[in-house]
Amino acid sequence: MPRHPGQRFALSQRQAAVVLLLPFLAVYGLFLVYPFFKGVWISLHDWNLMEVAFNPDAKAYVGLENYERVMWGRNIVWGALASPVLQIIGLIGVCLSLFLHRTGRAGRTTALTMGIAAVLLFVLPGFHPGEEGRWFDRRFWPTVGNTILFVGLAVPGVTVTALLLAAALNGETRAKATLRTLFFLSQVLSVTVVTLIWQIMFSPRQGLIANLTELFGGTPITWLTAEGFAMAAIVIATIWWSLGIAMILFLAGLQDISKDLYEAAALDNATGTQAFWHITLPNLKRTITVVVVLQIILHFQVFGQSHLMTNGGPNDSTQVLVRYIYQTAFRDSDLGRASAMAVFLFVIMGSFSILQFVLGREKDQ
Amino acid sequence: MNRHYYRLILGLSIPAFLWLVPTLWMVSLSFQPNDVLARTTSTTALGLIPIPFTWENYADLFQFGQVPVWFLNSLIVSVGMTLAVLAVSTTAGYALARLEFPFKEPLVVLCLMGLMVPEQAVFIPLYTMFADWNWHNSHHALILPRVAVPIGVFLMMQFFKAIPRDIEEAARIDGVGWLQIFWHVMLPLARPAMMTLAILTFLYAWNDYLWPLVSAQQREFFTITLGLASIQSNFAQAEGLGRVMASGVIASLPVVVLFLIFQRYVVRAMTAGGTKG
Repeated sequence: MPRHPGQRFALSQRQAAVVLLLPFLAVYGLFLVYPFFKGVWISLHDWNLMEVAFNPDAKAYVGLENYERVMWGRNIVWGALASPVLQIIGLIGVCLSLFLHRTGRAGRTTALTMGIAAVLLFVLPGFHPGEEGRWFDRRFWPTVGNTILFVGLAVPGVTVTALLLAAALNGETRAKATLRTLFFLSQVLSVTVVTLIWQIMFSPRQGLIANLTELFGGTPITWLTAEGFAMAAIVIATIWWSLGIAMILFLAGLQDISKDLYEAAALDNATGTQAFWHITLPNLKRTITVVVVLQIILHFQVFGQSHLMTNGGPNDSTQVLVRYIYQTAFRDSDLGRASAMAVFLFVIMGSFSILQFVLGREKDQ
Repeated sequence: MNRHYYRLILGLSIPAFLWLVPTLWMVSLSFQPNDVLARTTSTTALGLIPIPFTWENYADLFQFGQVPVWFLNSLIVSVGMTLAVLAVSTTAGYALARLEFPFKEPLVVLCLMGLMVPEQAVFIPLYTMFADWNWHNSHHALILPRVAVPIGVFLMMQFFKAIPRDIEEAARIDGVGWLQIFWHVMLPLARPAMMTLAILTFLYAWNDYLWPLVSAQQREFFTITLGLASIQSNFAQAEGLGRVMASGVIASLPVVVLFLIFQRYVVRAMTAGGTKG
């Protein structure tokens, strides 16, 4: 067989694989795998940013002490009714997921996820400082709470708005395409542009919202510095910013619903709102779950909105987890404690990533 | 088209306009004189129409301040990151999709696990590493961490898996080497996927805030996204509202233009990045 001129130097399949994989694996190992384990390692040390920078030996192994100092306290006890509302909701959730599973109304993954979430909701809020006890870090759990509150407001806000828009704007006409573009446009802006716009929108002296309020004779609200309003303000800015992806994912999901279903429903005089409830929603269940999980992962990482619009204030009411990690590391120079919190963040987001992966798998089958 | 349809479009035009108002307002404020804005931001139609009109804010941007430098930094970092991500993702993606070699399955799983690690979980150790190597305040420090994120490898791997095998088998029978097949046969086919990945990466690079905030401390290495954050805290006093808004417009221009030209790719990129990264 005549040999191809280039083949004398041609590589075997294995050699080619090594050549092609090496650049990525080098970067991957050096800038992702290694830093990840180094982060865990830092979290086990008393590690001051400045001191270690000048003297590499100025760190001390402390085991899990950083985790204890972040998440635990003195005389922490557990009570079944320490935080009654949340814990009762948790209990109801446990019963509900068992019931839904038994009656076959929810799949195994859904029931299991709901069950785990409900058990955590019952167990975690039960911890509180006993007599003469206190948390070692008073700000950590409130910060986690703020982050969850932010996620709990932004995710339903984005999901509901995006779902309604997607249902209304599904179609091939030019007008619909233009409207989709308009709603999607803010998604490509950077977080600093978004906070710039909304900071001035919410400004009590120069803001558009304040100007409107004054026009109608009202007194402008100091959105960004009033407790309660500050969280609402960053949620509004976030919904405005990140509606686009959710809408696009819903539109993709809508493509998979057969047109016959709507035509059959139209024969029964079910159009518009009725068709939305009885056909669109049930058939989009899977997409909705995927979008919700995706948004939870996305918004749990919130940083810029809080850092730039409210500085975590007023009174720490918009302080979120990533901002607390950032400040602990780069303002307080306490890399050990900051890394322990980063590992905590990774565990939460990792569980949602696994959930997302499992859901994606189910969809393929 | 019936009456119902037109009512729907008309009804949705109002929220769509409201959705656009914050952006319009930024653009409009950037064309108004600073001394007017210092008094009131609602001169004409609540400030949504730039009367009195001026180009001054934009002219000032290019004469004073560091916005042009930051813009250039953003361009270098975004283009550099996009090229680097394309290079490592196409090669590794092809090898994982098409070549047979030992330990392939564990390697795919190892890469998949990397998707679970968020930027926030590695930015502290990355900071200490780059500080040890004296890498901070440089373009490569802003580029490299994202090149390690395996999302691109997965997008390319999925794409190459979907290409029929007979194309490369024909080339194999002709005695063409694997690297030549990759370069001359597969890469040209992969253009749409590469385009999607390029846009995903460029948007990410242009808009990233946390890592530049940590890594770039000298103002001449700021990206435009980071620079904009640094001037917005004291906007009214130091620079004038109009000029800050002009900076915001300049910072948004490349991504908005990219979006309007390549809308379909942008949507596809953000969907892919959203569901898998």
